[in-house]
Amino acid sequence: MKKWKQRIENMFTKHLELPSDVILELPRITTIGQLHAYIENHKGLILFSDTELRLRMKDGHLRIAGENFVLKMMLPEEILLEGKIKELRFIDD
Amino acid sequence: MKHTQDVFFTGSVTVKASGHHPELFFDLCAREGITVWNVKKINDTECLGNIRLSDIPSLKVLRRKTVYKLSFPSRRGLPFLIKKIFRQKPFVAGLLLSFLFVVFLSNIVWDVEIKGVHPEIEKKISQKLDAYGIQPGALKFTLGTPAAIQKRLLDDLPELLWVGVTEKGTTYQLEAVEKSIVEEQKATGPSNIVAAKKGVIVDMFVAKGLPLVKVNDVVEAGQVLVSGRLNDKKEQEDKNADKDDAADSKNGQLVSAEGDIFAETWYRVKTTIPLETSYQVLTGESNAKYRLKLGNLQIPVWGFKDADYEQTYKETNIKPIYFFKWTLPLSVVEEQVHEQESYQQKRTEDEARSAAVDQASKQLQTELGRDADISFQKVLHERIENGKVKLILYFKAKENISKIQPISQGD
Repeated sequence: MKKWKQRIENMFTKHLELPSDVILELPRITTIGQLHAYIENHKGLILFSDTELRLRMKDGHLRIAGENFVLKMMLPEEILLEGKIKELRFIDD
Repeated sequence: MKHTQDVFFTGSVTVKASGHHPELFFDLCAREGITVWNVKKINDTECLGNIRLSDIPSLKVLRRKTVYKLSFPSRRGLPFLIKKIFRQKPFVAGLLLSFLFVVFLSNIVWDVEIKGVHPEIEKKISQKLDAYGIQPGALKFTLGTPAAIQKRLLDDLPELLWVGVTEKGTTYQLEAVEKSIVEEQKATGPSNIVAAKKGVIVDMFVAKGLPLVKVNDVVEAGQVLVSGRLNDKKEQEDKNADKDDAADSKNGQLVSAEGDIFAETWYRVKTTIPLETSYQVLTGESNAKYRLKLGNLQIPVWGFKDADYEQTYKETNIKPIYFFKWTLPLSVVEEQVHEQESYQQKRTEDEARSAAVDQASKQLQTELGRDADISFQKVLHERIENGKVKLILYFKAKENISKIQPISQGD
C-alpha cells in the first residue's frame, strides 16, 4: 500500500513536472556556501546546539553539523540557519 | 528575513528559555505561529531567542503548557524607547518647555523695520508704533491686524501719504510714503491773479501786485484781479480792457502777484432725503471673549458668560499662533460682542428739510475745502416723491477765488 502510493507520487512528479518537495513532502534545503542553510518543509526540530542541528523529516531526519550555529529565523515550517556549515547528512530511521 | 523588518517599530523581546532541551520550546513557538529569530544556545539548559512584543501574550499561554522557565533579559524597539523617555520626567518636562518656549518666541515681535522715509519721519513712526505697543518683545496676537495698524498710523501721522504694513514672521515691515508737501506753486516768473469763479468780492488782501478790482465788484471767472505789471494802473484807469495790448506796448516792471481774494459765490445743490430712516447705534456696552481654536474645536479661555444684549454686533478676530515660520493649527479667537440698538425715525417735512440742508452743506463743504465759509440761503424747489423729499437748495459761500496765472512775456 505504502509503496503503491509512493509510486503514484513519483509518477506525478515525473510526468507533470511538479516540484518534488511539494508533492513528496520532502524538505527543500538551500545553502549559500557554508554560511547559510535554509530549510523548508521540515517536520520539527529535534535538537539544536552550537554545533549541531537536527530536524525531523518525513522518513528519518536531517543532521547539519558545523560551528557557531544561530537560528536566524524560525517560522512554522522553515528554518534559516547561520554559522559555519561543515556537514549535511540524511539519516534514515 | 522580511518578517522582522518592522520589529524596531513594533518592539521585540529577547527570551531566555531554561530547561531540558530548551530549543524545543522555540520550535513549539514557531509551530504555533510565533516568529522566532536569532536563536542561540548558550549551554545545555539555556537558550536565547527573540520574539515580537505583540507575541508575548501567546508566548505566556504556551509556557503554561510546558515545563520551561522563561526570563526576558533584554527588550528593544521604539515602544520601549518611548517608555524609557517618558520615564525620565525632567526630560519630558524639558521637551515640553522648549516647545512652549519656541512657540512663545515665534509669537513675539522681534523686529520692526521701517523703510522708505526720512529718518525724521521714521522716528515719528517708531514712536507711534511704540505707543501702540508694536515693539520688539510684544506678543503678536495682542496687536491689531496690519490693516488696522496701517489705518491708525495714517490717522495719527498726517505727514504720511501711505503706509504698508506687512507681517513677515516675527518682523513687522513698514513701508511708508511721505506726503511731499507741495510748496504753494510760486510762479517763478511774473504772474497775475485771476478769478477762479464768478462772484462778488468781499475781502481782498494783496501782498504783491497791482489790484485791479475793489470790494463789492462782481467778477467773472478768468478776470484778472491782481496784475503783475506794476505800471499797469494808469492804463487800467484810462480804459478798462486791452490789458495785453498795454502790456505789450510798455515794458513795465513785472512781479509775481501774491494775495488772497475772497468772494461771495453761489451754489445750487440738489439733494434727496428719505422721510423714514432706520439706523443702528452701538450703545458702547461690549463683552470680549477669548477662545483657543483647534481645527473646528473652540475652547473658551476667557469670558464665559453671554451678555444679555437684545441686538448684538459681533466682531471676530482670529490670530494664528506660530511655530517658527509655520502657523500651528492653533489660533486665538477674540470675539467682541457689542450691544446694538436700532432706531426708526420718522421725519416731518420740516425735519427732513433741515436734515437735507445739513447734508447738502456738508457735501458742499467737502467740495469747496475747509476754508470756505458756507451759509444756507433758501430752498428753491421742494418735492415729495416716494417717501423722499427732493430739494434744490441755494447756498452762499465765502471763499478764496484767487488763481495764479503766469504772464506770458511773448518774445
